[in-house]
Amino acid sequence: MGRHRVPVRRNRVAIEREKDTDLRTHSIGATIVQTVAGLFVVISGTYDMSVQTAEAIPAFARKYALNCTTCHTAPPQLNTFGERFLENGYQLPGTEDGGITGKKNLGDLSLDDFAHYTGVRLRGNVLRAHNFKQQNPPGAESGTVQNKSELGFPEVFSLFTAGTLSKDMGVFAEMESNLEEGATGIERAFITFNNVGGENIANIRIGKLDPSAVFSFSTLRQQLEFIGESTNSSTDAVQRAGLFPLATAAKFYGLRDRSGAVISPYAPSLYNAVAETGVEVRGRPFGDWFMYQVGVLNGSNEGFGDSNKGKDFYGAIRLDYARSANFSASLSGFAYLGNSNATVFDGTRNVDANWNRYGAAAHLRYKMLDLHGMYTLDRITHAPTAALSNFDTTASGVTVALDAYVTNRTLLSLRYDNMDAGGDLTQRTSQTFAGMQIKHYLRSNVAVYARHDLNLRRAEEGNAAARNLRHAVFVGIDISY
Amino acid sequence: MHRRVLRYLAILMVTGFCATTAQALRPKDGRDTITEGHRIYDRACVWCHGTEGKGDGPSGWSIGRYAAPRPRDFTAESYKLRSTPSGELPTDQDLFRTITQGIPGFMPSYRSLNEQERWQVIAYLKSLNPAFEQEQPTPIVLPSPPLFPSGNGITNGRALYAKYECRTCHGDNGAGDGPESKAGHLRDAHNLPITATDLTDPSSFKNGATPHDLYRSIMTGLDGTPMPAYADQFAGQEEAAWDLVWYLQSLSGQPGR
Repeated sequence: MGRHRVPVRRNRVAIEREKDTDLRTHSIGATIVQTVAGLFVVISGTYDMSVQTAEAIPAFARKYALNCTTCHTAPPQLNTFGERFLENGYQLPGTEDGGITGKKNLGDLSLDDFAHYTGVRLRGNVLRAHNFKQQNPPGAESGTVQNKSELGFPEVFSLFTAGTLSKDMGVFAEMESNLEEGATGIERAFITFNNVGGENIANIRIGKLDPSAVFSFSTLRQQLEFIGESTNSSTDAVQRAGLFPLATAAKFYGLRDRSGAVISPYAPSLYNAVAETGVEVRGRPFGDWFMYQVGVLNGSNEGFGDSNKGKDFYGAIRLDYARSANFSASLSGFAYLGNSNATVFDGTRNVDANWNRYGAAAHLRYKMLDLHGMYTLDRITHAPTAALSNFDTTASGVTVALDAYVTNRTLLSLRYDNMDAGGDLTQRTSQTFAGMQIKHYLRSNVAVYARHDLNLRRAEEGNAAARNLRHAVFVGIDISY
Repeated sequence: MHRRVLRYLAILMVTGFCATTAQALRPKDGRDTITEGHRIYDRACVWCHGTEGKGDGPSGWSIGRYAAPRPRDFTAESYKLRSTPSGELPTDQDLFRTITQGIPGFMPSYRSLNEQERWQVIAYLKSLNPAFEQEQPTPIVLPSPPLFPSGNGITNGRALYAKYECRTCHGDNGAGDGPESKAGHLRDAHNLPITATDLTDPSSFKNGATPHDLYRSIMTGLDGTPMPAYADQFAGQEEAAWDLVWYLQSLSGQPGR
């Protein structure tokens, strides 16, 4: 979704277009029966895995002989202990255990030791069903409402390697193969240096990192997974809305990166990017109640060599409150200042612009409830006036999510998303979606889920992706080991 | 035989050395020690045990969710992991052992805190419960395993397993699938559902998996859980208790005796 995902999205667009021409329309009932049968086969095949406890990054669970819920309210969402473990560079909070835990001489290493640093996760939708109004398809009747569904296999495979190399030095690398996006590669990879200058004074991350990892609203820790949009390959116009936490999204239509590629309005970006290359420093020098974070990144869609005129900067603070009565709360704010990190088409050429974002988020946890939300405001500045005559330079997004265990093994997740879109006035369309998901853990490392997303503004009509997608249903599986 | 004797001697020497070393690093009890322990607690322990040590930290609920266990309430509750008779407070060594070893599945080992820091935390934990000032916990006598167990130790242990109806909770084969456990009848002191320990998986034993750990668990029970103390039943029959230990070890494929 971040730097490398924009060009990747084009590959997926091609896939989507292919699907649009080949997809068969199924009855939902028949599809669900087939899906359940498919799920049974998949789950049966995994059920006998000798796993005691593993989710999210199960290597940590193995390394410390802990259940995943020691660090997670519900994977991938962290609880406060997990957050402090992350902040401490994968060391137990209040300790520097990287110097002693699990360290062995090279000659003593075994596969079990390898497993303490490595985990895998396989997830994906085995059923996708979109109910939408057809939008000017070639050779089809415009305006007809139809269901399109497809069966598949879990298609997102992640390999994690994470842990401590020595005292106060950690490493994280995630490789991902995503068939939907047609991408395989290193998603994130960084090294951490912790407790520099004293306990929790400065923790440094260097590499390809997710800036919002320690924010009150973390892009990568949402229960409702990203569902990519469908676009017209010739015009780059969005044909079917994507289902993303819209506060994290780019929100602009017609915005391009410095290579000229259109940036998806749904792509998590800037401070909320999945991964950007740079360095950041954060810490809690005055106690647990206050955290600072500052960072420098290459910027949106910029890789090695960084052709930007300058780097992007961000800063964030986080205030934490309460550590008793099974309750905790945090409030965060950030500012991300882009520096020639995007371009706008002025009719003849793409011209540089600064793409900035400001945001605030809150996170409340009480027993079985996990409520978090974020508001972001994006602004395009320093672009020639001529380029902005048909371009709204402001956009905003809101995401609010609630996760709750309704039983010991069943997690209910709700999410509200709103985007007041900016960008090209001929394309931009604001949108509001509500999503609901039930996820049931068959065992600690195998879960099945069913999800329904509903377009709350479908009645407003209009021939745009944000209106044409009525609702969508997904059934999937999530396996970690 | 000589080798076995030497092994026991070595274990005793190492254990004694470690205990002595840990004790030697123990700071004097006092306000400064408690204050430092409080500081460490606020960094490392507060997330599960809460600001006031009531076991209500912000991460504590998610560990067991609607089931046991909940993090320990240091201000009032009885303690599961002890070497003292049922109903009594744990010794300082018990607390030190728990912090050092952790509780598989639920609490990490904090051996990354140095020994002095662990003692400081213990001083702070004890300051949360006035009972520690009034009582002097006394551990049960923990005899060494017999050097020459009887040849039919496991057979005797199996008979004791049946006699004391361990199978009711732990199941016929020790897999934690006894009828009471499977029926969901087992509850802890908070009235939360709790499952019986799978005795075939030593890595999950909350109170440790060495023969001494098993002996201690049998004799003292795990207060606040359905696991009772069997000290009265084995009074004067310590060798029989060791037979039960050998049998429990054999359930997990360990050699037993």
